[in-house]
Amino acid sequence: MATPVITPIIRFNPYASTSTSPSPYPSNLPKPRFQIRPTPTKLSVSTKNHSLAAAASLSDPFVLQIAETLEDSLSTTTPPPPLLQKLRDVSAESLLSTPWPTRKDEPFRFTDTSFIKLSQIQPVPSPPQPVNPLGFPTDTQLPNLVFIDGFFVDSLSQLPPLPDGVFVGSLLSLNSEAIMKRVSEFVSNFQGDLFWSLNGVGTPDLVVVYVPEGCRIESPLHLRYCSVEGVDSGSKILPVSNPRVLVVVEKGGEVGIVEEYVGGDGKKCYWANSVTEVVVGEGAKVSHSYIQSQSLNAAHIKWTSVRQESESTYELVEVSTGGKLSRHNLHIQQVGPDTVTDLSTFHLSFSDQTQDLHSKLVLDHPRGFSRQLHKCIVAHSLGQAVFDGNVQVNRYAQQTDAGQLTRSLLLEPRATVNVKPNLQIIADDVKCSHGAAISDLEENQLFYFQARGVDLQTARRALIFSFGAEVIQRLPHPFLRKKVESDIKELLDPAVKGFK
Amino acid sequence: MALLHPCSCTTPPSPSPILPFKNWTPNRLLFTSPALRRRFPPNRLPPRLRAALAVESPAASGKNRGGDSPEILLEVKDLSAAIAESKQPILKGVNLSVYEGEVHVVMGKNGSGKSTFAKVLVGHPDYEVTGGSIVFKGENVLDMDPEERSLAGLFMSFQSPIEIPGVSNIDFLQMAYNARRRKLGQPELSPIEFYGYISPKLELVNMKVDFLNRNVNEGFSGGERKRNEIFQLAVLGADLAILDEIDSGLDVDALRDVAKAVNGILTAKNSVLMITHYHRLLDYVKPTYVHIMEGGRIVETGKESVAKRIEKEGYNAIPAA
Repeated sequence: MATPVITPIIRFNPYASTSTSPSPYPSNLPKPRFQIRPTPTKLSVSTKNHSLAAAASLSDPFVLQIAETLEDSLSTTTPPPPLLQKLRDVSAESLLSTPWPTRKDEPFRFTDTSFIKLSQIQPVPSPPQPVNPLGFPTDTQLPNLVFIDGFFVDSLSQLPPLPDGVFVGSLLSLNSEAIMKRVSEFVSNFQGDLFWSLNGVGTPDLVVVYVPEGCRIESPLHLRYCSVEGVDSGSKILPVSNPRVLVVVEKGGEVGIVEEYVGGDGKKCYWANSVTEVVVGEGAKVSHSYIQSQSLNAAHIKWTSVRQESESTYELVEVSTGGKLSRHNLHIQQVGPDTVTDLSTFHLSFSDQTQDLHSKLVLDHPRGFSRQLHKCIVAHSLGQAVFDGNVQVNRYAQQTDAGQLTRSLLLEPRATVNVKPNLQIIADDVKCSHGAAISDLEENQLFYFQARGVDLQTARRALIFSFGAEVIQRLPHPFLRKKVESDIKELLDPAVKGFK
Repeated sequence: MALLHPCSCTTPPSPSPILPFKNWTPNRLLFTSPALRRRFPPNRLPPRLRAALAVESPAASGKNRGGDSPEILLEVKDLSAAIAESKQPILKGVNLSVYEGEVHVVMGKNGSGKSTFAKVLVGHPDYEVTGGSIVFKGENVLDMDPEERSLAGLFMSFQSPIEIPGVSNIDFLQMAYNARRRKLGQPELSPIEFYGYISPKLELVNMKVDFLNRNVNEGFSGGERKRNEIFQLAVLGADLAILDEIDSGLDVDALRDVAKAVNGILTAKNSVLMITHYHRLLDYVKPTYVHIMEGGRIVETGKESVAKRIEKEGYNAIPAA
C-alpha cells in the first residue's frame, strides 16, 4: 500500500476537519446545488471519522500507485503555490476512495479503459526544453498558449497586449491578489471522477484565464496542447500529461477559447489527461471550441466543467477525431436563472478507436435554455462511439427549454454506437425534447444528388462530409473551420473510398 | 376535343389508325415518322380516349416548328408502376409523347398519380416500374440510373425539395455541373470559374448572391425552395424539364419570377412537362397540351381550354373514363 505517501496529504487538508456534510466544499462558499453526484457510488473522504485503515482498505492499489508516481514526478519542483497545493490535496484525498473504473460502473459501461490500466504509467518528467518540438506553426495571428506534455511553455506562447485587468498565464506568475482570491474560490470547487482527481494530483501547473467585469476580448485565445513524449505502440510504458486550465469570466465579460489537442507523428502512445474549468459570470459569454486530433494510439481523457451564472451564455463546439480511446466528460452546472447553453459535438471514429462523450447539464434555476447536438460517424468495423447525454431539470428550473439531439452514422458492418440520451425532469412547467437517430445515409438526400446527375459514390461522400459539417460550421472562427474541414476530408477519404 | 373531330371516334381500329388523318394534316412529315406510329398503341385504349389522343397529333404539328421537323424527345408507353415497398399500383398504363419545343401540362386530382409519374420518369427508388416503356431521345430510360437520366437531359424539380444540411448550394451545383462536364468530355470548372458561370444566373430567379452559400434548401421558405429548383434547372440545363407543382405555395411575384425563368429556359429544342393544380401558371407559360390524369392514366388530352374548364368546373366535369 502506498499509504505513507498519502497520509501527510490528509493531514494538510484544511477542510477535512471542518466539513460536516459529505461534500469537499469549504463551508464559506455557496454550496453547489448538485442533486446527484456524477459518481454516486463514490465515498466521500470527508467522513473523517473513518480510520485511515478503513479508507485505505477502500483504496485501489493501482490508483494509489499512479497517484504516488504523479506526486513523485512533481516533488523536485519548488513548493507549489498554496492554491495548487490545495488542489493536489483535495484531489489526492478523493483518490483514496476511488477505484479504477470497470465496465461494471455505469459511466464506463461502454468504455474500456483497460488500455490505460494495463500500461505502466509514467508522468512526463521535468519541463521540456523551450524549443518548438513539432515545428508548431507560430505564424498564428491569435494570442496563443502552448502546452507541451501538459506543461505550459511561456516561451512558445504568444500573448499580445490584452485589455487591462485580463490575466492569462501560469498561476505561478499571477501577482494580483484580487484575481488570486477569485481564482481560489473556484479551484477544486467541483469533484469529477477518478481522472479529474488524477489530473488534480499530477498537474504541474494551473493556467489561469481571467477576464474582468465587462471586458470583451476580441480575438479568441488559442490553447494548443501538444504531446511530444510518446512511445511506440506495443511498449508497456505510457507517458501521461496532466494539463489544467481555469477560465474565469466575470460579469458581462466575453471571451472565445479554442482548445486544440495534437499528438506527435500520429502513431505514438501516450495519455493526455486534461481538465478545463470554466466559470461564466452573470451575463457573461464564453464561446469554447475544442478540437481533439491526438495520435491514433493515444488515450485522451478530458474534463470540461462549466459553471454558469445568471443570464450567462456558454457555447461549446467539439470536434474529436483522434485517440484510440477518447473520452470527454462535460459537466455544466447552472447556478442562476436565464442561462443559455449550446453544445455541439462531432465525433469521428475512422479506425479501431472509441469516441466517448459523457455530458451532464444540471439546471436548477428558472428559464434556462439549452440545445445539444451530438453527431458521430463510425467508419470502421472496430470503431465505436459512446454518448451519454444527461439533462437534469430540477425542481426550481421552471420554464426550462432544453433540447437534445443525437445522430449517428454507421458506415461499416459491426461499427458500434452506444447512445444514452437521458432527461431527468422534476419541474413541471418545462419544454424538453430529445431524439436519437442511428442510420446509414438518408435515401432521399442521396436521390436528390442523383437526380442532379451526381453519382452515388460522390453523393455518399458529400453527405458524409456534410453530416459532420453541420457541427463544424458552428465553429465560431473561420480559420479553425477551414482547418478542421480539410482535416476531416483527409481522414474520411479512405473510409469513403473503401465504401461500396 | 372529341367534339372538334368527331370523325376520329368512328375510325375503326386498323394497323395504322392514324393514317386517315393524313389528308388534312398540316404537316405530313410528322405522320410518316415511325416513332409517331408507336405513340398510341391503338388496341389498348378505349375509343373515346383514342380519339382525344389522336387529335393531339395534328395539333402537335402546328406550332413551335422551325425549319427542321421536331424530334420526339420522350415517349412513354403503357407505363405502369407501383410503390416499391407496398407493391400498391399507382400508374396503370400512362401514354405520353413529348416533342421538342412543346409544353405539356398534367393536371389531375390529388392522388391521381401525377407526381408518381414525374418521379418514375427520373427513377425515384420509391417506385417500381411494373410494365411499359420510357424512351428518352431514343434511349431506354428504364435501363438507366437516376444520375444517368439526369445527365441525359431529364430534369425534375421536386415538389418538396430535399434539405441537405452541411452542403452549400454552390458546392452542390458545382458537383452536379462538373458531372455534366465530365460526361461531355469537358474539363471541370474550378470553384472560381464556376462562380463566374452561375452568379449571372441568379438574376433569373431573382435571388441574392448569399443564396449560393446557404445550405441546400436548409431553412428555405417554400418560395425559396421552388426558386432554387428553377435555379438548378437554369444552371444545369435540360432537354426535358419536369416541373412538379413548381407553382404551389408561391406568391404572385414569385410565380411570375418562376414563370419567367421557365420561359427563359424554353427553346425550340427543349420541352417542359409541368404538373400543376392551378390554371394561373398557364397565364404565363403557354401549354401546347393539357393532359388530365385520373386513376393512374391520362384520361383526357386537349388544349389550354381543358385547364380552363377544370379551373371552372372541377375534376368532376371529366366524363368517366
